[in-house]
Amino acid sequence: MGPVTGSFFDGQHAGRHRVEVTLDEGAGTLIVTGPSLSAPLQWPLGRLRALEDLARDYSLTLTLHAETEDEAPRDPARLTIREPAMTARIREVCPDLRKRDLHRGTWRKIWTRSAMAIGAVVLMLFVILPRMADTLATLIPIEREIAFGKSVIAQMERALGATDLGDLRCDGAEGRAALDRMVARLTEGQDLQYDLNVQVFDHEMVNAFAAPGGQVVVMRGLIEDASGPDAVAAVLAHEIGHVEARDATRIALRAAGSAGLLSMVLGDFTGGTIAVVLGERIMQASYTREAEAAADVFALDMLNEAGVDSTGMAEFFDHIDGLQGDFKIPEYLSTHPASEARAERARDNAAEQGATTPVLSEAEWQVLKGICG
Amino acid sequence: MPEVQHSISGEYHGERKPLFNLAFKTALLTAITLGIYRFWAKTRIRKYIWSSVVGQGDAFEYTGTGLEKFIGFLMAIVILAVYLGIVQMILFYFGLTLFSEPATQAEMVGQMLAIYITFFAVVPLIFFAQYRARRYKMARSRWRGVRFGMENGAWGYALRAIGHWLLTIVTLGVLLPRQTFSLEKYMADRTWFGDAKFEQGGNWTRLYPAMKHLAIGLVILVGGGVLGGVAGSGAIMVIAGIVGYIWVMVGLVSYRVKSFIYLTEHKTLDDTVSFEAAPETSTIVSTVIVGSLVVGLIMALVFAVIGAVFSAMMGPMMLGNSGAQVVGVVFLVALYVLALAMAGALSLVWITQPIIDHIVSSLKVRDAEHLNDIKQRAHDTGADAEGFADALDVGGAI
Repeated sequence: MGPVTGSFFDGQHAGRHRVEVTLDEGAGTLIVTGPSLSAPLQWPLGRLRALEDLARDYSLTLTLHAETEDEAPRDPARLTIREPAMTARIREVCPDLRKRDLHRGTWRKIWTRSAMAIGAVVLMLFVILPRMADTLATLIPIEREIAFGKSVIAQMERALGATDLGDLRCDGAEGRAALDRMVARLTEGQDLQYDLNVQVFDHEMVNAFAAPGGQVVVMRGLIEDASGPDAVAAVLAHEIGHVEARDATRIALRAAGSAGLLSMVLGDFTGGTIAVVLGERIMQASYTREAEAAADVFALDMLNEAGVDSTGMAEFFDHIDGLQGDFKIPEYLSTHPASEARAERARDNAAEQGATTPVLSEAEWQVLKGICG
Repeated sequence: MPEVQHSISGEYHGERKPLFNLAFKTALLTAITLGIYRFWAKTRIRKYIWSSVVGQGDAFEYTGTGLEKFIGFLMAIVILAVYLGIVQMILFYFGLTLFSEPATQAEMVGQMLAIYITFFAVVPLIFFAQYRARRYKMARSRWRGVRFGMENGAWGYALRAIGHWLLTIVTLGVLLPRQTFSLEKYMADRTWFGDAKFEQGGNWTRLYPAMKHLAIGLVILVGGGVLGGVAGSGAIMVIAGIVGYIWVMVGLVSYRVKSFIYLTEHKTLDDTVSFEAAPETSTIVSTVIVGSLVVGLIMALVFAVIGAVFSAMMGPMMLGNSGAQVVGVVFLVALYVLALAMAGALSLVWITQPIIDHIVSSLKVRDAEHLNDIKQRAHDTGADAEGFADALDVGGAI
């Protein structure tokens, strides 16, 4: 078939060769001739490859499969044909026109590089960064940690809706005294690294948290919902456990190292934000679940030492379980271990406890409930 | 070898429909493969756009492969994982040790800044990645079968870029033209077409006229604020604020367009071939405005229809039916991914492509007969194949 005209670039010079192209199906070759070519070219049909995803798809640009050092195993020469009958016929008779050829050893390269990348990321996320975070958390001067913790608390306060710093802090004098007594009862005889700074925030959320440097915040909602002073004491003991383990500082340090890493790996593709958030959540959850379990153990020990009944703790977890309702977050996504299991451990502990006395008297408990006025 | 005219005009042959189909399809594939396909997606879109750019009937060719980008990305990940993880954490630690008790509002802001100090770990890498990305794109571009290419120099670029940025910031933008010119010259002087070398001529002080509208906008913004403050008039401040802001935005585009024209017209290839460029700020600004409106309108229409159908069908079923609720959530996530893919593809064909079309069509190559004598250059491995840029999410629309 042919000849038809075409443009040929030899891959050596930028000059264009005007050529005539003939398709010889019998011999299985494409013959390219032209006055500026030193000799006619014979391109075997089996080695012909077409460029893809081209804008002007009525034209066909051909090259040859060849073991070159190029990014793809292709000959640098290019032949462009526009004549519709010829391009249609070539597309018909060349079976491998759209074949993607790979350089030898490409698959091995993909596997080794993938393994290295996955290995590096996993090693960083699960071994090096956690270790470093643990070490750095112990190196940081305590007064700096306290300052950091205070700024975390200030931010939290703002996030909870305080217009001025200190707006949310409850400081009823008698309630404060009751709270201090509770803390004193729990920490008596304990050798703590941090001076505790326990505060109550005027907010309905049933929650409490520990910020770096000995800062503990309990929400009004938690005190109101608690079955009694022992439950609040259990929560406090749990948060003190976080404080002593420097969990907040360690987690902040870990997050600083791992957040950028994750978003880098997953990239900014369509819907990638979902994947990053989910991935971070899973990572963070596995970190913190361990810390939570450790804080629970710490809290039970503290309650036992202080002679406070851990049934309060069990009741609190039952309550949390009830709040979550029927729709449960799967444990691998949750930052806390499942509440039923935690309640059970507290109940088991209570069964083995010796003599206990309530952490506050009924009168003191009523005063503490009114700390926010 | 025969016939090349004395001057060549740039042409752009890309169309909306095929590019939209390609971009939409590859975006969905990217979402399905959790992002892995993004390297192939980018490559295929580049192949389309490059092949749309035509000079004297001959199209450009993009020869990069998705696979080499993927492998380059994996390599970059290994280095960045170690570097970023450790450096960011250490910087964050030092950020923490700078802490003191936050007494005032200002101190609190200062402390938050100390935390974001981690960002600075990435800055040199971003410039490094920018140069590498341009080098890779050059190494994978061909015209008439001859490769473009760029020399090594990413660290030199990163150093200079940091220096110029600091100077620009310290001088409140007065030395911006010097930065624009020097950084472009650094890259242009290392760029080749075959065995022919590009060279950036001209002088940075000649870029000041390009800043005219940027300066006017700033004067309105600052002057209006001062005037309004002195007169005690909120209205003056608001009007000056709005007018000044718009003027500055258009001024930025105008600066980029005018400096592009100056820099292009003072480039030469092999001391012989020269270039002309005549893109218009007004065309680009109106393309962005019209394009955004069209994209917004199409998105609103399509998703209003889908949303209406969805709530009509699923709404009653979902009440108290947890199975249907799960289906509903899955459907919403799918809808979100679909919307993102569509918005990306639409803005590519309604904003990015028309702007490329406008710029390419305004280009002219003079004394082009010399191009016939240019010989092929050797293959460049492409180093990390833009892996750093991909990992750090550096780089423009395409």
